[in-house]
Amino acid sequence: MSQQPPAAPAVEIRGLSVQFGGLTALNDVSLTVPAQSITVVVGPSGAGKTTLLRAINRLNECFAGCRTAGSVRVQLGGASVDVYGGSYPPAALRRQAAMVFQTPSVLPLSVARNFAVPLGAVLGLGRGEIAERMEHALREVQLYDEVKDRLHAPAQNLSGGQQQRLCLARALALRPSLLLLDEPTANLDFRVTRQIEELLVRLKTQYTILAVSHSLGQTRRLADHVAVLSGGCIVRTLDRSHLRDAAVFESLVEEVF
Amino acid sequence: MRKAADRLLTVFAWTCGLGIVAVAAGIVVFLCLRGAHTLGPRLLFDDVPWWQAVSGQRPVFGGLWPAVVGTLCLTLGAAAVAIPLGVAAGVYLAEYGGRWTRSFSALVDLLAAVPSVVMGLFGFGLILFLRKTLLPEANTCLLLSIFCLALLVLPYPIRTTETALRALSPEMRLLGPSLGLSQWQSLWRIHLPAASRGILSGVILAVGRAAEDTAVILLTGVVANAGVPGGLTAHFEALPFTIYYLAAEHRTGDELDRAFGAAIVLLALTAALFVLATWIERGLHRRWRPQP
Repeated sequence: MSQQPPAAPAVEIRGLSVQFGGLTALNDVSLTVPAQSITVVVGPSGAGKTTLLRAINRLNECFAGCRTAGSVRVQLGGASVDVYGGSYPPAALRRQAAMVFQTPSVLPLSVARNFAVPLGAVLGLGRGEIAERMEHALREVQLYDEVKDRLHAPAQNLSGGQQQRLCLARALALRPSLLLLDEPTANLDFRVTRQIEELLVRLKTQYTILAVSHSLGQTRRLADHVAVLSGGCIVRTLDRSHLRDAAVFESLVEEVF
Repeated sequence: MRKAADRLLTVFAWTCGLGIVAVAAGIVVFLCLRGAHTLGPRLLFDDVPWWQAVSGQRPVFGGLWPAVVGTLCLTLGAAAVAIPLGVAAGVYLAEYGGRWTRSFSALVDLLAAVPSVVMGLFGFGLILFLRKTLLPEANTCLLLSIFCLALLVLPYPIRTTETALRALSPEMRLLGPSLGLSQWQSLWRIHLPAASRGILSGVILAVGRAAEDTAVILLTGVVANAGVPGGLTAHFEALPFTIYYLAAEHRTGDELDRAFGAAIVLLALTAALFVLATWIERGLHRRWRPQP
């Protein structure tokens, strides 16, 4: 590959520890997420994968009794932001480090209002611009043709895969620098899963993606970099060279599970 | 054995459900049997033409009109005070409350447990206190009753708002912040609209309680023949009190029947207020979620 690696990593986590009500969820985690690539975090249930994602956009703080220590630096719009430095507003951070949850979480509103509520509230956009961004984002996730005639129908009537792509489009419409995906295909069938995976591979040329996955197959298909999380610690990091041979990769990961 | 228990539970649930319907229907039928024949313009306006009574050109002495207006003022006034305060307090408990939540919550329970006659006594005591100190002119009045009734019904919107907000799924709670909405924006644009059905039930409970309560107003400003209230500092009549004294002091069977007629009017009035509350909630919900 002749391409120059980007100068600064998109996310740099150093010595991150998170506790909930005295219980340690993450313990002294350090991780570097390179820009414009897909980094996948794998690990057993309860390893702290979701907490790690939510530490980056400070969503853990929405839960009572959360204590975070350590540093997280994120590249946002050309500037390096110290997430826990205290001066960067969490709302702006969360808009630029957009998250998609494991279960498709559409607002119980129409497809169009799912865009209008956040875009209107967060960015203060007018109707015209909201419609423009919505169409662009829906086309980006290849959902526009499927929903263009039902933009004003309830989003909950869409299929699970369509809802999850809607959530992804809603995140993209905020024009984030970073996408945080928490097992985005956990509740979808294999065909829809493949569709979303192809989408993510296309999107990584524009966005840095940090995803959590429970599927080693998916990790192999998607990841440029892999971090294996177990018991709140990163126990191994792997890159593409480890991913080529499925058997080698699985044995590497299973060692630590 | 389990099948029998299942069947027994089904029978029990149906009996309870039907029992409630039967009791409610029984009350309505009984009221109608006794009071329906009194219904008509005479019951409300006596011999004053309705347009003259409604426009205030002629006072009504023998009819229920002043009590209807009094009850409407009381209920709407108490709702106007208690609902915004109660919803705000419920929001505090569900979304913002830190270490004070438990003590605050206990105080709400305490407030809910205060009997209405004690709340009336509190209002009465408050007026005595004001007369001796800041306002020698102060007297029991509509405003005082509204204030005490609002205090009485405050726990309903607080509890239902808190419960409805807490019942939202964790994903729904995180969704606003994850999209970059501030806590206030999430609350205003996502949480409250999503919880509006639950909040409505508290509003209905509060309105119903404010419309029926007699003990509070008895001690804070209701007067048998006050007429249509002239303002917030005037005395007033109210339907529950009218029903009470018509029933307690009737001399003829006809007067007792008028008490039943008044009870039907009160029932219709609260039903109309419930419809109004539901209608407002639907309108607000539709603005949030334009399609059914």
